[in-house]
Amino acid sequence: MTLMLAIDTATPRVAVAIGEDGRVLGSVYLSARRRHAEALVPAIAYLCEQTGVELRQLGAVAVGVGPGLFTGLRVGVTTAKIMGQALEVPVVGVSSLDLVAHPLRFGGQMIAAVLDARRHEVFHARYRPVSGGVQLVTEYRVGPAVELVAELEAGGEDVVLAGDGVASNRAAFGALERAVDAGREFEAPSATALVEIADGRVGREEFSAPWDVAPLYLRASDAELAWGNRR
Amino acid sequence: MTPDAGPATILGVETSCDETAAAVVVGGRSVRSSIVSSQVDLHARFGGVVPEIASRAHVELIGPVVAEALAAASTGLHDLDAIAACRGPGLAGALLVGVSAAKALALVTGLPYVGVNHLEAHLYAAWLEEPDLEPPLAVLLVSGGHTLLVIMEAHGRYRVVGQTVDDAAGEAFDKVARFLGLGYPGGPAIDRLAPDGDPEAIRFPRAMPGEPNFSFSGLKTAVVNHARQHPDTPVADVAASFQAAVVDQLVDKLAAAADGAGAPTLVLGGGVAANSALRARVGTLGAATGRDVFLPAPAFCTDNAAMIAAAAWWRLEAVGPTPLDDGVDPTAGLGVVA
Repeated sequence: MTLMLAIDTATPRVAVAIGEDGRVLGSVYLSARRRHAEALVPAIAYLCEQTGVELRQLGAVAVGVGPGLFTGLRVGVTTAKIMGQALEVPVVGVSSLDLVAHPLRFGGQMIAAVLDARRHEVFHARYRPVSGGVQLVTEYRVGPAVELVAELEAGGEDVVLAGDGVASNRAAFGALERAVDAGREFEAPSATALVEIADGRVGREEFSAPWDVAPLYLRASDAELAWGNRR
Repeated sequence: MTPDAGPATILGVETSCDETAAAVVVGGRSVRSSIVSSQVDLHARFGGVVPEIASRAHVELIGPVVAEALAAASTGLHDLDAIAACRGPGLAGALLVGVSAAKALALVTGLPYVGVNHLEAHLYAAWLEEPDLEPPLAVLLVSGGHTLLVIMEAHGRYRVVGQTVDDAAGEAFDKVARFLGLGYPGGPAIDRLAPDGDPEAIRFPRAMPGEPNFSFSGLKTAVVNHARQHPDTPVADVAASFQAAVVDQLVDKLAAAADGAGAPTLVLGGGVAANSALRARVGTLGAATGRDVFLPAPAFCTDNAAMIAAAAWWRLEAVGPTPLDDGVDPTAGLGVVA
């Protein structure tokens, strides 16, 4: 029996779940005023209390590594890494885009997971539903929403759009004809998906030492970008 | 006003700027370990701390640094009595890493969490080497981000009697060093070069005489103007004369503040307190005015986590633990804490 704590903070929503062998015992989603660093630890404490799970019983910690909000990612990834280190259990890092796509695996169509990257840009990746999950068919990328829209249009395939990058670039994505918007329910990474995906990876021993888990930023800092331009 | 709880063992974490640090301190005074991983090389090419680069480095370094602090103290998590982190002032994204790590450890261990004010921690650095120090103290807190004159009246009671109206003293060192081509960070670079120059070669302005507040922006401009008008002046003379002007301003105001408050003890804190000319002058001031002077070792002047654990010990007794829904406060000031 493996008990697992799952955390995703790649979007304004704080998502936490506790799972047992891939089944969710409880989950908390918070999109309220409180910021990630304030809400995350109390949410974990509440879940432990309500599920009767003590942290020292955990066999693994799973975390959404992004791409997404830099500050949010740092709160979630740091919390997961330090917990893994203190509890001496492995940490499983899963892309937050995978956690947007996974709940849509039964639809049959291509899935585009799209998270808001601000400045009219989006973090995105595409997936095909396969037996038991989704398969990544692109790289994880960041770029202007309009470029992704042009690519999807050129592909000429039916696609389901999911993630908060769709609503924040409504004008760009509204132009797509062969696309449906999965809507609010699928706008943020799913902690339930994280429990399911990470449990499979723990079973296959596809995990890391806590120190090796890092946020997937995809973007250099502004200072480095400016430095690169100057050279 | 000594905490009754006994010699609590506290793990402190500090990530407010560009140092990732963790330390184990017993009873607010006895340092069992103090690990500081500096990111100075990551920021050197930008001539200053880049917040996003600092925040990313903290995420990578925090785990190893905490593990090293515990190992160096031969302490396990189960031997600790509390976990503390700096909650501000500082860079928001950087602070979040240390606070998240400390709160996660507090949750895993069931130990109290203590959120600590960075400026207050700099004051408590003094107790790490001088355990019998007693307030009132006149403290000059000078770093790359802060220039403060503080009268510490009692534990938890602070009166800020002067602060900079523009640049921090350390910022002035960095800007002048960059202009003179001396590299980053500027404080150590100027400190190294100044003994080769004449501190009286150029009479740079001592800003705001007779007032408690500091100003360094005009001094920086004066250095730039002088170097442009007199390009043949040896760089060492410029560096020495600039440093003398900074030190004069700092020490004159510290003397006036100590007189005003009747504080019998002078204390230095912050990264600029590692400057050898400043240390020498404050020592002379103490001897001349019959005051005790306490200069923490340079390692406890610059950002470190031992001072966080020390301040946490006092705060835990006076105020109690910090709730786990507490966040960070990038612009926190120094006021009456207890």
